[in-house]
Amino acid sequence: MEHTPDTSVLALLSNQMADAVEQAGAAVVLVNGRERLPATGVVFDPDLVITADHVLERDEEITIETASGTTLAARLVGRDPASDLAVLRVDGLGVAPATQGTARVGQIVLAVGRPASGGVMASLGVVSALSGPLRRRRGVAVEQVIQTDATPYPGFSGGPLIDAQGAVLGILTTGLVRNTPLAIPTAVAWRIAGLLAQQGHMQRGYLGIASQPIHLPVAQRGGLTQERGLLLMRVEEGSPAEQGGLLLGDILVSVNGQTITDTDQLQAVLATSPVGTVLEIGVLRGGAVQQVVVTVGQRA
Amino acid sequence: MTIAAELETERDTVTTDLAHGIDALVRRVQASVVRVVGQGQGVGSGVVWRINGDIVTNDHVVAAQAGGVAVELDDGRVLPATVAARHPAFDLALLHVEGVGPGELRMAATGAAVHLRVGELVFAVGNPYGQRNVVTAGVVSGFGEARLPRVAQPLRYILSDVLLRPGNSGGPLVNAYGGVVGINAMIRGGDLAVAIPTEVVQAWLNDQDQML
Repeated sequence: MEHTPDTSVLALLSNQMADAVEQAGAAVVLVNGRERLPATGVVFDPDLVITADHVLERDEEITIETASGTTLAARLVGRDPASDLAVLRVDGLGVAPATQGTARVGQIVLAVGRPASGGVMASLGVVSALSGPLRRRRGVAVEQVIQTDATPYPGFSGGPLIDAQGAVLGILTTGLVRNTPLAIPTAVAWRIAGLLAQQGHMQRGYLGIASQPIHLPVAQRGGLTQERGLLLMRVEEGSPAEQGGLLLGDILVSVNGQTITDTDQLQAVLATSPVGTVLEIGVLRGGAVQQVVVTVGQRA
Repeated sequence: MTIAAELETERDTVTTDLAHGIDALVRRVQASVVRVVGQGQGVGSGVVWRINGDIVTNDHVVAAQAGGVAVELDDGRVLPATVAARHPAFDLALLHVEGVGPGELRMAATGAAVHLRVGELVFAVGNPYGQRNVVTAGVVSGFGEARLPRVAQPLRYILSDVLLRPGNSGGPLVNAYGGVVGINAMIRGGDLAVAIPTEVVQAWLNDQDQML
């Protein structure tokens, strides 16, 4: 075998990627939760496995298989169809949790899955884009998603998208957007998984308003510099918004001091605000800025 | 030089080396890749396996070529070839070209497929749709096993995510050291490339030698 200086960097990169797969693969498990092909999960906390919700077609008799080939019973502790994430508890798992990383556009990545016994599988790509928030019928499902050109083979859903150091950048799923491989960034996925482990389900923040972005004439900005705000078109009766004192015709300009100029920004704030969170909402009312305190509720 | 400038220089060096590394590797491999021609058309790819004129390709590349085949070398020469042996179950065929002098053929460097790890870099070189020397890159995705009729051991094959198209068949899968680790044979499930490991090719060729 030739080892010329020319190829040494190539060989170095190649070895590093294989090492990354091996290292990350230790925390990657096979998930048996449906009739056909098994899927993949990632150990994110001692005894806890994050996987994709859509690969669990039953609530019971779920098993996982570790990198060492051990099959263990798993209990479904929480699932969130909106983000397509679910959490399994595996008593006596004894596998060290995966390390977390943050995705950057252009970064070399590997999609990793364990759809069969006898070793992980992998495919190569880059982080193509970071986009979001991803909206579904009932509001924002996740604040951000990672797009990649790495091929998720059948059974890769629930598996990690890793960097060349083996850090988990996101959880792969083809269940969020049909036929589009996406990964939910680790920071988002771990947070949702943590809540699922505690509560069993996700409570997405709800205010009870319908709004529309509008341009703010200079004379009506109440001293603010932002050019846009959200005009409240509707405030639902009995909603957290009404109870907090938001009025039809208010122009929402900020939440907790963060400028809000479009509905995506508001959705993103709500996606990270569990029920019970107190928000200080800035509104333009009668040409002046006022602060209104609203406690995030849950959609009835 | 400031630390920042040093880092910048270092980064540039690494980038250049990586690009050069791939370029150098591909050039070396291309010299050993032939285009298999049947009835005037490119039908697949092949690898110069031994200096004596032995060229390995896929069985399915030559199976339908009743009129005989020729190979087009990297330097453009087209030489008539005989099908010296076939193994349809492994999808391997051995071609032989006569009358080539020493140094006229560039033998491919081989690598050990048995040491391949999931995630390591691999390159495919071949002639998709007859286009010469097309390179695609990917990683080893995994391994598969096939139980074949009249073959005692199951065939362990290489799976990778390199892009293959018709005409790539019979071409090499190469590791980051430039060694041929397999012969690209087919596409499974739309996006998984299947390669026959070099050791399987070598063992089959050794059997052929004993039979002669």
